[in-house]
Amino acid sequence: MEDYIVKTLAPKLRGDGGWVEFVSYENGVLTLVFRGECSKCLILNRCLDWMEKEILRDLGETVRIEAIRRKPYFWDMA
Amino acid sequence: MAFVEVIRRSMRPEEWTDLRYSWLRRGIIKDRVEITDLKIRDARQVSEDGFEFYPEGWRALKNGDMYFTPDGTAFIEGSIEVPEALRGKELWLYHHTAAEMIVRVNGRYAGGIDPNRDRMLITPFIGSDWKVNIEIEGYNRSKPDDERNPESMASRGCRQIFDGMYIVTIDHDVLGLYYDMTLLIDITKSKHFDEDAREYIKKELNAALNYVDFETFQGADKAREHIEKRIYSNTDFRSSGNVALIGHSHLDIAYYWRRIHVVEKNARTILIQMRLMDQYPDFHYTHTQPYVYETLEKYHPELFAELKEKVKSGQFEPVGAMYVEPDCNIPSAESLIRQCLYGQHYYRKAFGLTVDTAWLPDVFGNSWILPQILRKSGVNYFISNKMSTWNDTNRFPHNNFLWKGLDGTMIYACVPPTHFITWNMPSQIMENWDAYQDKERGGATLSMFGYGDGGSGATEEMIEMMHRFDKLSIMPKTKHMRADEYLHSNFDGNTELSVWDGELYLEMHRGTFTTKSNLKAYNRMLESKLRSAEIVSLIRAKEGKAYPADTIRDTYKKFLLNQFHDILPGSHINPVYEDAMNDYRAVDSALDGILDEKGDLYFNSLNWKRSGVHFIESEAGKSIRHGKKGFFAYPAIDSLSSGTVKDATGSDTSWFSVSGMTVTTPFYTIEFAEDASIKSLKDRKTGREWVKGGFNKLHLYQDTPGMYDAWDILPNYDEVEYDLSVEKKLSLDAADSTSAEFSAVMRTPGGKSTWKLVVRLFAASPEIETEHIVDWDEKHKLMKAEFSCNVLSRALITDTSAGYASRETHRNTTWQQARFEVSTHLWTDFSEADGGIAVINEGKYGLGVQEDGFSVSLLRSNIRPDILSDIGHHDFCLTILPHSGNAVEAGINRRAIEYNTPLIRTEKALSASWDFGPLYLETAKLSEDGKKIVYRLSEQDGMRGRLDLGRKVETLNMLEDHEGWTESIEYKPFEIITIAEDLDA
Repeated sequence: MEDYIVKTLAPKLRGDGGWVEFVSYENGVLTLVFRGECSKCLILNRCLDWMEKEILRDLGETVRIEAIRRKPYFWDMA
Repeated sequence: MAFVEVIRRSMRPEEWTDLRYSWLRRGIIKDRVEITDLKIRDARQVSEDGFEFYPEGWRALKNGDMYFTPDGTAFIEGSIEVPEALRGKELWLYHHTAAEMIVRVNGRYAGGIDPNRDRMLITPFIGSDWKVNIEIEGYNRSKPDDERNPESMASRGCRQIFDGMYIVTIDHDVLGLYYDMTLLIDITKSKHFDEDAREYIKKELNAALNYVDFETFQGADKAREHIEKRIYSNTDFRSSGNVALIGHSHLDIAYYWRRIHVVEKNARTILIQMRLMDQYPDFHYTHTQPYVYETLEKYHPELFAELKEKVKSGQFEPVGAMYVEPDCNIPSAESLIRQCLYGQHYYRKAFGLTVDTAWLPDVFGNSWILPQILRKSGVNYFISNKMSTWNDTNRFPHNNFLWKGLDGTMIYACVPPTHFITWNMPSQIMENWDAYQDKERGGATLSMFGYGDGGSGATEEMIEMMHRFDKLSIMPKTKHMRADEYLHSNFDGNTELSVWDGELYLEMHRGTFTTKSNLKAYNRMLESKLRSAEIVSLIRAKEGKAYPADTIRDTYKKFLLNQFHDILPGSHINPVYEDAMNDYRAVDSALDGILDEKGDLYFNSLNWKRSGVHFIESEAGKSIRHGKKGFFAYPAIDSLSSGTVKDATGSDTSWFSVSGMTVTTPFYTIEFAEDASIKSLKDRKTGREWVKGGFNKLHLYQDTPGMYDAWDILPNYDEVEYDLSVEKKLSLDAADSTSAEFSAVMRTPGGKSTWKLVVRLFAASPEIETEHIVDWDEKHKLMKAEFSCNVLSRALITDTSAGYASRETHRNTTWQQARFEVSTHLWTDFSEADGGIAVINEGKYGLGVQEDGFSVSLLRSNIRPDILSDIGHHDFCLTILPHSGNAVEAGINRRAIEYNTPLIRTEKALSASWDFGPLYLETAKLSEDGKKIVYRLSEQDGMRGRLDLGRKVETLNMLEDHEGWTESIEYKPFEIITIAEDLDA
């Protein structure tokens, strides 16, 4: 799963100024960190749906993605 | 007096107007029929014309479906037969989307749809069978072409909902009223216009809208009549001004997209602008960068053929002599010349044009050497918006002026008062006029309009606005025109223009001298290697070997492409960096193929005898530099000649001694600190102390400039500094009869990055070389090397690559204060009349200015746009050279060129008898027509003189056009001269 995220999905998100990093995959829950443009994307959920479908098609696994957003410091107002 | 603020809860009159204005949009489309027979195929672009398709293949596309993928291109096809009821009417294709779409109708390029426009006219492409076959190539970005358009921003994101696609007709009364309202509401909201006039317009707009039934949109014609009568015919409110309106679209070749994507971005932009020209015959548009025209010719020949006709008719205007809009701080003089040479030669081939503009609206400051290069490349006008709109400290004092270059060359310069991306609104035009500082001497002011950054350009709305400006007495006088008309009519023969003498320093984006260190180092290395490859090829050609003209030209162009102002400066997403490094590797490999380095001889491509210490790579060598084995030698090889270099290294190390942290060499007594910084550097001959404060001292600073993370270093960068821990104290690592190598190893807080600082001392050279071997894993940090000198001077001397510039080190006024970080090229010098300190670098360009010296900016670690920016391994050298006399007397420039010009290994001896006295042979190449040898000579010491050549040579401009003949060269300070002679000379 990590290999798939790093080699297949991450380059596509990077092409859009986004960034995804693998954190863990346990019991069908795939935890990913999103940075860059993804970190503030208003419609990230649509992308997560798409990623879940890509994983199902390519790896045959049904996953639920837990997204952790890591905004850069200049967008990270508390 | 205390008061209670009354919060108004009912609708203000202007809010009622705004609301009804927004409702007008609902009435623009009169009839609509949905295209339901649609299919889509998802893909990802992987090369300039190659796509990787998703395995699902074609699928039906229905209203409400999701479409587009991250970094995705989608191909959409569909068809419809125009219903009887719509036949004979003006028909439009309507689709609201965040994507950038090139649309073909019935096999022909019909137009484009993107976040800045949601409909396009298709009537001209529909035949008598009323069938409409649609083919769309759409490219969707999370970052739209133009972030200034709020509608673009509202719809950004990788995955979009398909809102349906329609054939529609337009209610031109409603549309016309909508444009009237757009224009007039903009005026009412702008403080640049007279308050009484704004109140009057507000009142009349309300009255006009009262005619409209917002259920049926009946009455729009009456509303327009009211506006015509009450507002357009009213001349009570007057304004002054003279503004030229020029259609343009800024197109970053790479930024938040890769250069492969710009092929289609450019095609879409050009297509859209050409369709606007069909719709509005009075519309003109300027488009820059020969490179993107080349891609259009290669990948969209049908569009290119149409473009050529539009260029011929004068509606479409190619501008910008340079191959791309390059960064103008970092590229060398020869790179900037080649930008012009290859750019202009392409325009000549494609359109029979030599353009007279350098069109650089977004470039991050401009080198002082540019005026000469541009004027000698057929360019009379320089245009760049950045200094007027982005300076953070001082208001740049001119908009239309004469720019005086380092060598004294003057060029007409236009720094328009406002941004290069506007949407042609009255408020923007009035703001431009208000901000214009040369009203009394510069003629009209220039306002560019058109969406951009990623292309797109002018819209129907912008042109419709323009057609209404003359009706408004409150607007400044405006005229839409071509760029050349504006420039010629306002500058030519204008004797009243002010003069700006100096670089066009941008008080912003100072981090771009340093960000993406590896790109900059590779750029430097390849500039030198390209020079050597041409010289070696030329000498070999004289001996009968074919000159690889096509390979060199193609290689040069690939190299120049990556000097684009969001590539080389480092302000781009990660895939752009990967592309650039791959391109550089391809250039490097092509040059290796040309140089074909093997054999035991070494060729000196410089036109003087070398004398300095030089590292020779050799498997048998005992020293290591840049991770490669070799030895240090003093190759005394004559100008443009080959020779042998022997490893004379022995084991005798008696030339230096170490006592505690003090090292004594034939030249110095040096007291080091544990971190390899130098506490004292005493000249043994004169007893002079060179150090006063931190010297060769690393400083790690907080670097948090905000959103423009990759671009900026803030003036307060040094307020927060982090301590480095010394993991290995400075100690002697290796020594022989030639050199002694010491090193210290430091770690950043938390131990994330390791910084090995090597110090090399030499038995026979006064140079002190430092090598920085770094594993860098930081965020928001800036590493600098400080050089505080025991020197009283008020100026740094910095290399420009075609002479030197003097930069004040005091902070008396805001002009010096703003220049706390400046650019340099190969070297920097800080001297008194009889001596000083020079630091020569390998691929570093950023320099902090201090009252007592300078700091070299070594590495940054920003996260936007590229989270991985600069993370990884780095290995670079600086050489510290204390000297007597000033920088020119000490020959610092020549030594810095030697330092950056490796010897070339050859099997057969190479030699050329080209003697150009004190002038630097910047280039020797085969002319572009293949008929002669071209030499480019550069005076770099600020001196005047005469060179007798002893033979007749042709004088050329930098485009290699004939200018005359001469047997001698009269040169002046910092002049660049191009001459040529026959191949068999």
